[in-house]
Amino acid sequence: AAGLDRPQVVSHAQQALNYTLFDCKWVPRSARLLCLGSAARGSGLLQLYELRGGRLALLREIEKAKPLKCGTFGAASLQQRYFATGDFGGNLNIWNLEAPEIPVYSVKGHKEIINSIDGVGGLGIGEGAPEIVTGSRDGTVKVWDPRQKDTPVANMEPVEGESKRDCWTVAFGNAYNQEERVVCAGYDNGDIKLFDLKTMSLRWETNIKNGVCSVEFDRKDVNMNKLVATSLEGKFHVFDMRTQHPTKGFASISEKAQKSTIWQVRHLPQNRDIFMTSGGAGSLHLWKYEYPAQRSKKDSEGAEMGVAGSLTLLQNVTLSTQPISSLDWSPDKKGLCVCGAFDQTVRVLIVTKLNKV
Amino acid sequence: MPVWLREHCWQQTASAVYLSLPVRGLRVTPANIFCTDQYLKVSIPPFLFEAILYAPIDDTNSTAKIGNGIIFFTLYKKEAAMWDSLTLGNADKEKMQYLRENAVLKAQEKAKEETEAKKVTKQEHKKYALEATMKLEEAERKRIEDLKEKERQKVTKELELWKKQQEDAEKQKRVQKGELQEVEQLKEKKKEKVNVTRIPSEGVSKTRLRSTKGHGSCGMFSENFREEQLPAPRSAATIKINFTSRVFPTALRESRVAEEEEWLRKQAEARRTISDDLSELKDLKEEEKNPDWLKEKGNKMFATGNYLAAVNAYNLAVRLNNKLPLLYLNRAACHLKLRNLHKAIEDSSKALELLTPPVPDNENARVKAYVRRGTAFCQLELYTEGLQDYEAALKIDPENKTIEKDAEKIRHLIQGTMQDS
Repeated sequence: AAGLDRPQVVSHAQQALNYTLFDCKWVPRSARLLCLGSAARGSGLLQLYELRGGRLALLREIEKAKPLKCGTFGAASLQQRYFATGDFGGNLNIWNLEAPEIPVYSVKGHKEIINSIDGVGGLGIGEGAPEIVTGSRDGTVKVWDPRQKDTPVANMEPVEGESKRDCWTVAFGNAYNQEERVVCAGYDNGDIKLFDLKTMSLRWETNIKNGVCSVEFDRKDVNMNKLVATSLEGKFHVFDMRTQHPTKGFASISEKAQKSTIWQVRHLPQNRDIFMTSGGAGSLHLWKYEYPAQRSKKDSEGAEMGVAGSLTLLQNVTLSTQPISSLDWSPDKKGLCVCGAFDQTVRVLIVTKLNKV
Repeated sequence: MPVWLREHCWQQTASAVYLSLPVRGLRVTPANIFCTDQYLKVSIPPFLFEAILYAPIDDTNSTAKIGNGIIFFTLYKKEAAMWDSLTLGNADKEKMQYLRENAVLKAQEKAKEETEAKKVTKQEHKKYALEATMKLEEAERKRIEDLKEKERQKVTKELELWKKQQEDAEKQKRVQKGELQEVEQLKEKKKEKVNVTRIPSEGVSKTRLRSTKGHGSCGMFSENFREEQLPAPRSAATIKINFTSRVFPTALRESRVAEEEEWLRKQAEARRTISDDLSELKDLKEEEKNPDWLKEKGNKMFATGNYLAAVNAYNLAVRLNNKLPLLYLNRAACHLKLRNLHKAIEDSSKALELLTPPVPDNENARVKAYVRRGTAFCQLELYTEGLQDYEAALKIDPENKTIEKDAEKIRHLIQGTMQDS
């Protein structure tokens, strides 16, 4: 039947946890995954699982003083695979999972909880220095280099006297050579800001009228191509980042998929035009972006402006009654992904037929 | 009185009776014929034919053929016997009546039974149909489930295969690492022999460090090479940003925007003129009736040093709305500058009154109020009262060094005067 030619989301394994799960990430080059979150006793937990048969086997459990909110392997080398985490106290730590008692790098980066973290320059992807960016409730976005202690290499903070807004999400992009890099940050008042780290300036900003829950570039290590920003009220926007108009900024298309908040967006590492959004009603939607016939056109004054393409919904599935707050595709196996929801369950899913899309 | 039709003729066999009834020129429909097992009537008003049959017949199978001005009845006998005559002879009127009624009753009962039988069959058909559809749907669902299950199994197998590949790859790497480490150690030994002139411990520790760092020496080599290629950490810089302004501390949601605007509008209105019948107010422009605007004006004039004008602005604002603590607070500051100390004390006190309940939100305002009142007291040489206020301020904000210093100074002054007197 036509319905069964579409990609199917197959549930492969799941594990009930006894703590609140905030983030889950695949360990690169392996069938292992990390879950992190907050235990009932107010401490942070980091668990390492391995996928065996149709089950998840717990290999290791690490407990830390403060609850952990987010983590990334993005700035780690493939051999060392150090994991960077942000916690509820505003501390950024980088851990060697073989010896997790003492962090390899630690700094109290922010005054309040670190909501989001991203890394670039590691895992054999892209060029340039390994860097980690953290966005916090104290309204600042800071970029760290693991080789430099205590001070960030870039700090995006509000002007004196400006009342702060929570930063909810950060993402790296445009890291196609050693100098270029941008950081995109989304805030709770609907602001999206794009910072250029080469010129240390604000390159673009816009407001999407709803608090921004998650931003991601389709690829961190190429000339910036597309940016997806998801928000409250079930909306998300896809921006075409190849053409920036002097006043209108980047062209975009927006879609209202569900009634509830879209918590995360993650692009498929093996195909940058496919991405999955996870929602507050426990659902996952798989989307495909199609480029328009011409990606840019000239406006009335002759300035180049971008043209947004179109989106098709490939599949959607409801897994839980609670929001799915974290999502990660495996970089090694196409279609394998893990998602964590607020019903204290981590689920491993396989999306089939992605080759035929 | 009906007209009797009597010109009928009949024949019989062992099992059937054939009756032919001429009805010349009359239009006959099946409704005109009434037949039960022992009574036959044809009624085409005003004509009537009636026969009480000699023996019972099977009235369900018997037929009547209407055509050519004749009704031809084929009546099947219940019992195969030859009848003496078509009708039962010498029946008196009563009996005939009884027989007629009986016949009608029987017919009615029969009709009832038939309808009930029909109903029952209808029900059964419905049930059957329902079960059949359910079975079909079930089958469909099962088919889809099976397809999905097959997918799952296929995918699980692929995953297991991939995992195995990963594990094999890792084992290979480890083996390679083992081999290369052996090669390394051989190299080390060679190096040791060569670097005899150097301080032995230094030489050994250096090479040992090199080989233990990193897993997989081929990777290690390439990594060292890459580290040399990595650029230095960026020079630190700060980018200052502005946010799209938002009054509420909560996140922005489109669906709530209308409510929020409504709330803000009502707040602004509530702060406007409380009473309109002050005649001087008619001369004022719209914005001058807004206490917030007047407060801003007052602040600006204070900043430029025009304290008297600031006081005027605050006065007008207070007349419009005397429930805003910040107006009194700022006016107190002006009075301090103008050395109107009693007025400063009054205004600070009024501000403190309005700043109840004491919550973290109005901490800043309360600290300022206490400090200003304390300053005024000290300038009036009422040092004990001043100290009291400074200590209250310190209680709210213990981190503030200036308040601490000033409090110390006042204590010294008090002790000084006490010693004097």
